[in-house]
Parts: sequence; structure tokens; C-alpha cells
Amino acid sequence: MHRPLGFGLGLRPPHYGAVLETRPAVDWFEVITENYLVGGGRPLHFLDEVRARYPVVMHGVSLSIGSTAPLDLDYLGRVRELAARCQPEWVSDHLCWTGTDGRNLHDLLPLPYTEEALAHLVPRIGRVQELLGRPLVLENVSSYVSYSSSAMSEWEFLSALVARTGCRLLLDVNNVYVSSRNHGFDPREFLDGVPVAAVQQFHLAGHLDLGTQVIDTHDAPVREEVWDLYAHALRRFGAVSTLLERDDNIPPLEELVAELGRARAVARRTLSEAA
Amino acid sequence: MTLAELERAVQRHILGGGPLPESLAAAVAPPAAERWSVYVEAYRLRLTEALAAQYPALAARAGGSAFAALAGAFIAETPSVHRSIRDYGRELAAHLAAGARGAEDEMRAELAAFEWRLAAAFDAAPGRPTAPAELAAVAPEAWPGLCFRAVPALGRLATETNAVAVWRAAKAAGDAAPEPLADPVAARPGRVEWLILRPALDAEFRSLPPDEAAALDRLLAGEPFGALCEALAGPRGEAGAAATAAGWLKGWLLAGALERV
Repeated sequence: MHRPLGFGLGLRPPHYGAVLETRPAVDWFEVITENYLVGGGRPLHFLDEVRARYPVVMHGVSLSIGSTAPLDLDYLGRVRELAARCQPEWVSDHLCWTGTDGRNLHDLLPLPYTEEALAHLVPRIGRVQELLGRPLVLENVSSYVSYSSSAMSEWEFLSALVARTGCRLLLDVNNVYVSSRNHGFDPREFLDGVPVAAVQQFHLAGHLDLGTQVIDTHDAPVREEVWDLYAHALRRFGAVSTLLERDDNIPPLEELVAELGRARAVARRTLSEAA
Repeated sequence: MTLAELERAVQRHILGGGPLPESLAAAVAPPAAERWSVYVEAYRLRLTEALAAQYPALAARAGGSAFAALAGAFIAETPSVHRSIRDYGRELAAHLAAGARGAEDEMRAELAAFEWRLAAAFDAAPGRPTAPAELAAVAPEAWPGLCFRAVPALGRLATETNAVAVWRAAKAAGDAAPEPLADPVAARPGRVEWLILRPALDAEFRSLPPDEAAALDRLLAGEPFGALCEALAGPRGEAGAAATAAGWLKGWLLAGALERV
């Protein structure tokens, strides 16, 4: 079990200068792995500078652990090299697939929750953990479709993966909410069905509510429904490293630091009430 | 439907768009069948945004809807094979050149090539540029055999149109759209050779005289320094050729352009 890092932000290029100049009250930063799989220049320069001042976690979007295409060993080698360079607290990616047959759709596509998918994933996760020399932390994705072949719930599927591979979980609270609305399940049942000891990190982000469907947009502040669900997650999982994401309509750094302050306040209040 | 068949069906639908195929409709649980459009639309939107980020001057020059159309045509024929979306779009300049109809299109193709080279320099590996002082100890008789290669950030290209002027105008204008070409004749000022490097964190570029550009290209193609001098000896005489080549070499080394092989 990794010690909780506190409250972090996703590191985005528009904030590089402000992060280094103002040293904001952020406990850690999460970086998008693929943005730093480059030879040099500004991205790696700022990653090194930020890493010298803050703990960092690597968060990938292209592992495609659920793809039926072979694992991309060249990509994994570059991820391992980056990890050796920036010494992240952990390495995460998504429980999804992003393409097959050599294509990348640059999206986090859902898997059917079947024994076939579990049997496919278990050795792949094991191989990735072996190559990276560390447990893989996998995030639940937002989804808009579900498959008629699914034989279990998403949380049962996640729990089975944890039991069979020893992987850890990045619980995206916003994604739980988005998927619960799109598929009509109780988001608290999801959280209550995930093994407590496996949860290493939370994500918080904004979404777009269209009424008939909810889209995971990361372009707005966290909504009230998700703050409520975050409090529920805190009551179940305790103090877990929490990360606020923003990928579009990126505001000045101080606005995100202020929103992160709300996460701190919710956690402080919830955990003290639970004590 | 196996997992592999399901993934192929989903991928075909996202890449191809169009109506939801029967096999895929049967594989998803209601009421979510119509929501495949979220993924189909997100794919095109995400790649269009990636191209706009990679080609900001081209996007500014073309304008919102025209750039979306241009990007859409490229995306339809060029699926991504890259792990990082940052690497998507390398073929855009060739795609635009192949479909060019007139001066503006030709300029856009060259603008795309120029922006791709700048982007490549932006996050290239630093390499091990050779400093002029490192050659001080080379014996005179060894100079003709000296060979070099480009540092990873080095970019070489030539333009026939005013693409670089358009790039400068777009950069100066920021988000404001630059003026359209006033005079199509001005779009073809003649061939200009360009050298792109990244001395620190930002890519920089400058034009090269044609003879210097040709000499640099010979060196980058693997020819030794002596062959460069011989090629220049005709017009300049032996001593003049050596002095000219040495002067250019010093300049390239000072710019951090070359690694000794």
C-alpha cells in the first residue's frame, strides 16, 4: 500500500511557468505519459523541473490493455525509460482498449465484462507489471455504451481483475457517476463493490449533463453530484491520493488550486466525521 | 462475437462512420445503441484538435470551418497508428500537396511542411552537437575525412511560396485570423532554403544562401568535408573553396547543427 500523496493536479503545459514561479500549494502532479515520450525539449525540461519540486505520477492513455492486438513492447519500453527518468510514485493507465490491428482511435473504449475479457486481460496485465517492474494502476473509464454480452457488473469485473493480477485501482469518481447515469446503476453500489485495499488514487473532473446522457468532458469544475459521491468514496476508502483533472477550457492555475482546496475541505470534513 | 471480432467491428464503425451496423447494434445493450455516435464524433473531433495544435498557423490561415473540412478529409484517409496523438499528422503536407489547386493550396502544403518541421524540432532529443573547439586538435591531414550528421532537431526544407511569411503573420496575429493573400503572384517569391534548429527550448529558423544549403545537404548526406571542398573548388579555386567550406562549417557548428560521426 502506497502512502497517500494528498491532493494533486494534472500538469498541463499552459501551467508550466506558473507552477515553477509560484510553487502552488499542490501536493503532487500527475503527468500524461504520452506527452513526455519524446526525445527532449520543452516537455522533458519542464517535467524534470516539476519533478525536482513535487512528487509525480505517470498517467497513460494509450496502453490499450484490453486490446486484442499484441502488447506494444516498443511503447512499453519508452514508458519504462520515462519512469526511470522521472521516478514516479506509480504508473497508471485505463481499463479499456484504444484500437486494434495497428490503429489507435485515441479514445478510451469500454470492454465487455465477461470471463473472456478477464482471461485476455489477466496475462497482459501481468506482463505489463513485469515489464514496468511495478504494479499497474488501472482507472475505470466513462462509458456511453454497454455490451449485451456482459455477464457481471463493472465493479465485479474490476474486483476480479484485482484478485487475479494484484493490479491496483485509480477510481475516477466522475467516471463512476457518468457511467451510472448512462447505464442506470447506483454509483454508490459501484463504490461499495470495489475492494477497499486496492484503491490507490481518486480522480475528480467535470462533465456535461445532457439529460439523456452524460459526457465526460474534463472542461468544467467538478459538479455537486460528484462532490457528494467523492464524500461517499472517502467514507468507504479513507484518505486516498486525490487528483483534479482539467483538459479543456483550462483556467488559470490559481482557479484549479482553489478547486483543489474544496477537495481538501470535503476530505477533511468527511474523514473527521467518519473518525 | 468474440472480443477480437467486437473490437474490429467497433473500430470499423468509428473509422468509417455511417449507420450502426446490425452486428454492432446487436452487441450492445439498450438503451445505449445510439450512443455509439459519441465515440464516432469524438474520434474526428479529437484528431481535428490535434491537427489544429500541430498546425496552428495553417488552422489560423484556413479559418475554422475550412480547417475542419481540410482536417476531415485528411482524417478520413489517414487513420492514426501512433500511441501519442502528438505524432499524428505527419502526412498532412503531402496530402495537401497532392490535392493542391492553385497558389493558396500550394502555400498551405508548404506551410504544413514548415510547421511539422518546427514541431519535430520542438521536442527532439538534444543530441551531442560538436563544438568548433572540439575540432582544434584534428590534424590538418585528417580534415578531409571529417564526417558529420544532423543533430536530431535539425530540419531542412525549401519553400517556393510565401508560406514562411504567412507563418510569421499568423504567429504575430495570435488568435486573430491573418489577411488573405492580396496578390497571388506574391505567393511565389521563389525558392528559399531554410534551416531549423532548437538551440535551447524554442525552435528557431533562418534562411540559407543556395550554395551554403547545397553544401550542408552534401555533408548531411554523409559526404566527408574533403568532398565538400572539392565540389566548391571549381568556382572558387582550391584555397577559396577550403576557406568557404571551413567558414560554413564553423557557422553550422556554432549553431549546434552537427554531430561529428
